[in-house]
Amino acid sequence: DSLLGEVLVVELNTAEPWPENATLYQPLREDQILLSDCASSLAVQAYLRMCGLPVRVCCRANAEYMSPSGKVPFIHVGNQVVSELGPIVQFTKAKGHSLSDGLDDVQRAEMKAYMELVNNMLLTAELYIQWCDDTTSSEITRPRYSSPYSWPLNHILAYQKQWEVRRKMNAIGWAGKTLEQVYEDVSQCCQALSQRLGTQPYFFNKQPTELDALVFGHLFTILTTRLTSDELSEKIKSYSNLLSFCRRIEQTYFEEQDRDVKITIKEKL
Amino acid sequence: MGTVHARSLDPLPMQGPELGVQADDLDLVEPDHEPQQEVLENKDVVVQHVHIDGLGRTKEDILTYEIADVFRAKNLIDVMKKSHDARQRLLRLGIFRQVEVVIDTAEGADAMPNGLDVTFEVKELRRMTGSYNTMVGNNEGSMVLGLKLPNIFGRAEKLTFQFSYGTKETSYGLSFFKPQPGHFERNFSVNIYKVTGQFPWSSLRETDRGISTEFSFPIWRTNHTLKWEGVWRELGCLARTASFAVREESGHSLKSSLSHAMVIDTRNSPILPKKGALLKINQELAGYTGGDASFLKEDFEIQLNKRLFWDSVLSASLWGGMLLAIGDKPTSICDRFYLGGPTSVRGFSMYSIGPQSEGDYLGGEAYWAGGLHLYTPLPFRPGRGGFGDLFRTHFFLNAGNLCNLNYGEGPRAHLSKLAECIRWSYGAGIVLRLGNIARLELNYCIPMGVQSGDRICDGVQFGAGIRFL
Repeated sequence: DSLLGEVLVVELNTAEPWPENATLYQPLREDQILLSDCASSLAVQAYLRMCGLPVRVCCRANAEYMSPSGKVPFIHVGNQVVSELGPIVQFTKAKGHSLSDGLDDVQRAEMKAYMELVNNMLLTAELYIQWCDDTTSSEITRPRYSSPYSWPLNHILAYQKQWEVRRKMNAIGWAGKTLEQVYEDVSQCCQALSQRLGTQPYFFNKQPTELDALVFGHLFTILTTRLTSDELSEKIKSYSNLLSFCRRIEQTYFEEQDRDVKITIKEKL
Repeated sequence: MGTVHARSLDPLPMQGPELGVQADDLDLVEPDHEPQQEVLENKDVVVQHVHIDGLGRTKEDILTYEIADVFRAKNLIDVMKKSHDARQRLLRLGIFRQVEVVIDTAEGADAMPNGLDVTFEVKELRRMTGSYNTMVGNNEGSMVLGLKLPNIFGRAEKLTFQFSYGTKETSYGLSFFKPQPGHFERNFSVNIYKVTGQFPWSSLRETDRGISTEFSFPIWRTNHTLKWEGVWRELGCLARTASFAVREESGHSLKSSLSHAMVIDTRNSPILPKKGALLKINQELAGYTGGDASFLKEDFEIQLNKRLFWDSVLSASLWGGMLLAIGDKPTSICDRFYLGGPTSVRGFSMYSIGPQSEGDYLGGEAYWAGGLHLYTPLPFRPGRGGFGDLFRTHFFLNAGNLCNLNYGEGPRAHLSKLAECIRWSYGAGIVLRLGNIARLELNYCIPMGVQSGDRICDGVQFGAGIRFL
């Protein structure tokens, strides 16, 4: 249903321009949001800023359940609700805003491949560290995930989500991995990204694309989030071009626009 | 004088809905007085022994309370009356399938000349009864399994279990009931349940998983119930096209609430009563025993019935309620009141009155609804004395209003808000009584006072349910 539904949404919406009151919904910033959700949300925010589309960020404790696909973030534009970066890119394309129009077919295929790499490696690694590593899960993830709810619902929901994520890890074969192997996978992914980026400002030379937004979302969040150990952010810091890439996007699209989106180093996970 | 079998005397008229399932409107029929009994009528007798035969797992101590009164009988007619009363009390425990009374002269070494022995011959219900149904509805099928264990520990405790497994939803319920020995009206019960509901008028799907314990006890003529309930509620959109206001309510919440209900019911039947009145007041306080939801909810129900000329009945009812959020969290869509439909203000679609967003009805925090009915027998009285007595024609006038409370304004502003833009309707129809629990209605309704946003169902409207305005 979901894929067909996305296409229908896109078809019906070409006529209306982007409204002023477009809103992006994510879990509560201070106490609730997890590393993986924050990375996804930041990626969507970066993409919309790159397109020059204004969006307000609204934090709700039940954002995950409000979303039609069960994943955050989602945007409420006019009377449409679209969740996750992929469908949001399609949605904005139908309204005439696109970052990858200038790419030829080969480049577009390459962009899709790298986005798949980030989703399959970085995002999965984030989920693994959050939910499958016992220390992180009990000290950080479960308390944060269940913070809006009262006893005993908080424990029920946290354990239910943990069981669900671990089952998915099993299905994709990550259950047998150790934390060291996961860090190694992240390192390899970063190496591939670093090589592709080279000395260019963005992945496809002068103009940012949705791939830049996605990579920025994940890398910046990992760099600025305190986990039980610093190993993950250290892996990224060893690639200086990725660091300057993150700083560049932050300065260009976030700092000069409005103050309250400035994300500082703090305990976010 | 031979034995007197006081078997299955005709039932006495009901004193209220608690007493068993008996057909109403039957007047007390005196047992036939045989010529020999008239001689004995004024003779003093003493009840020497009362036996109960046929007990299996039932413990005797709870039964002594029910039959104690028989000992106090002074003459034969008194003995028969009191043993009949005792039989009713034994039956209402819900542990016997059949109770027969045998009154005989006393026998044995210590028998007095005017002594009597009363024996109750009982047949206990089976230890476990089960039922299995399959139900097929709109695009969904389910199988329902029911298990009932009456009198499991011997003192009229009852355990019921129901499980429904369907293509779309699964629900179950487990309930344990225990009365106080000697005072059946004082009882407590514990329930565990999971229930799913779909509400298309709000595009909402709700799953409740909960535990509740309740105590019931009578005080003078009223019946009180104290209940604690803990429910994990999960709300979701029923369709992708649900409005954003309903989407914002999706998610999980926990409600832990204490509630108190008081009922005074002097009607002769819960369905289509001919006389009597009902007063029900219910309050619920959530949030002080844990949980996320925090509110105070009050609602009441009044019904008055009066018999008029020619077997017709005039009935007036009034419902109302109020939901006050405590703290700064707004009220949840599953706690609010809804109005409209064949069981509420007729002539409007189900729960389709009041605040709404993009066609989804969100409910309101305060409401009132009133109804005035005139019930008459069917014209020309077909099938009188039999099937025709289950039908009644009725003429009705319904009115009501629903709104949200806004703390900025005072109570006067809320009252005036409830008084303006009243929805009302009138019409006539046929009512069919189903057993003693439910009724079906087929009405022709004319809705009036319709506000923009309400959905109406003018013309013919069909309704089935337990509680009607």
